[in-house]
Amino acid sequence: MEINIINSGTITYAIRGRDLLRNNGYKAYMFRNTGDSALGCGYSISTNCGIDEIHSLFEKFKIKYISVLPGDSV
Amino acid sequence: MIYLDNAATTFPKPKNVITAINNCLKEYSANPGRSGHYLARRAAESVYNCRKKLAEFFGATEENVIFTQSCTASINTVLKGFLKQGDHVICSALEHNAVIRPLNKLKGLGIEYDVARVFPENTESTVKSFEALIKDNTKLIVCTHSSNVCGVILPIKELGQLAKMHKIKFAVDAAQTAGVIDINVTEMNIDYLCIAPHKGLYAPMGIGVLITADDSLDTLIEGGTGSLSKLPYQPDYIPDKFESGTLNLPGIVGISAGIDFVNSIGLNKIYKTEIDHVSHIFSSLCNNSQIKLYTNSIRMGYYSPVISFNIRNKSSDTVGEELGRYGIAVRTGLHCAPLAHQFLGTSNTGTVRVCPSVFTKRGEIDNLINRIKILSKT
Repeated sequence: MEINIINSGTITYAIRGRDLLRNNGYKAYMFRNTGDSALGCGYSISTNCGIDEIHSLFEKFKIKYISVLPGDSV
Repeated sequence: MIYLDNAATTFPKPKNVITAINNCLKEYSANPGRSGHYLARRAAESVYNCRKKLAEFFGATEENVIFTQSCTASINTVLKGFLKQGDHVICSALEHNAVIRPLNKLKGLGIEYDVARVFPENTESTVKSFEALIKDNTKLIVCTHSSNVCGVILPIKELGQLAKMHKIKFAVDAAQTAGVIDINVTEMNIDYLCIAPHKGLYAPMGIGVLITADDSLDTLIEGGTGSLSKLPYQPDYIPDKFESGTLNLPGIVGISAGIDFVNSIGLNKIYKTEIDHVSHIFSSLCNNSQIKLYTNSIRMGYYSPVISFNIRNKSSDTVGEELGRYGIAVRTGLHCAPLAHQFLGTSNTGTVRVCPSVFTKRGEIDNLINRIKILSKT
């Protein structure tokens, strides 16, 4: 299973994104990111939703995010 | 005490609001949206849940809900964040100082404004009055939903349509009506909705709400937002852009619980209960030659549950003091709304203002009426 990471600058959009993914049947967990991104502190979501689907869902529901990074395969 | 000063702030607060705030302070009052530990995440979730509730309540989406220090702060954010030199604004003749004072400050910076006459119970005339003032450089209509002095409701749905038709932004000061009368920002074409949660939403003081999708507003305050920290600039998206510094978590939790309380009763029932009280005051006093009232009637849909009066040959302050001696709390004077008093012709006298809440009992209103009648004979 592929786990991808969505980096969000803001907790509001991170929670919204997490809830959107869950409502669409995906696993999604929010966590505070380590602050080592170019932009500094924020919140991220780990999810088993595919990268293309993440972009599609987030753009459809106008959820702002910074980046989507491939995570680990588990 | 018979508390009838709910236009200033509602009192008492419901038990569920007090319990919710207490629990928050005891169990999870960490800084929301800053750290990653359990308490911070729990605090952040409760903030988000409040945004969701407010969004549902007012027909918006949760990221468009911004927490401020007060309704006045929300109004200042809109006026000073949106208007530029050379812009023209239209407001109503019933505005609170929360609108007029920033507009007068902005006048000094090259922004002009005009005051539209209000025709109580006459939607068409009121809307025409606003329309007649529209110019090429009119950028904003800002108005109160209802006067905090006399309860006159402005036709904000029709004014929203007017603004949209002319491609003008529309801001509403809903300090007196949020939680009493139904407001939907989408259906009413409201670009900026300013809310005082400590009134009709039964939340504590010290918190305000601004609902808007406009992330191009300039900020009044910049600072830490718990997001994009490496950037030395303010985030450019709502709500973070307008929420620098630590949020008032207990206040936000109070708003959540307040919305639950209002929803448990229902807006229509709250409005009807309160307007019935005010209507009873009006009908009991309107034929008393010693008492001056300032509206022709109290009709649902045209008035919010606020009523002002004076007793002939007595100052409003004296009447307020006398009522206070009998355990009845009202507000007297100009109510931070000199423009409204100009409209009513009471700039020199002020008025005695009465405003019930959902907790007010009919017996308390009868007590007030009897006391006013006795005072009018002395």
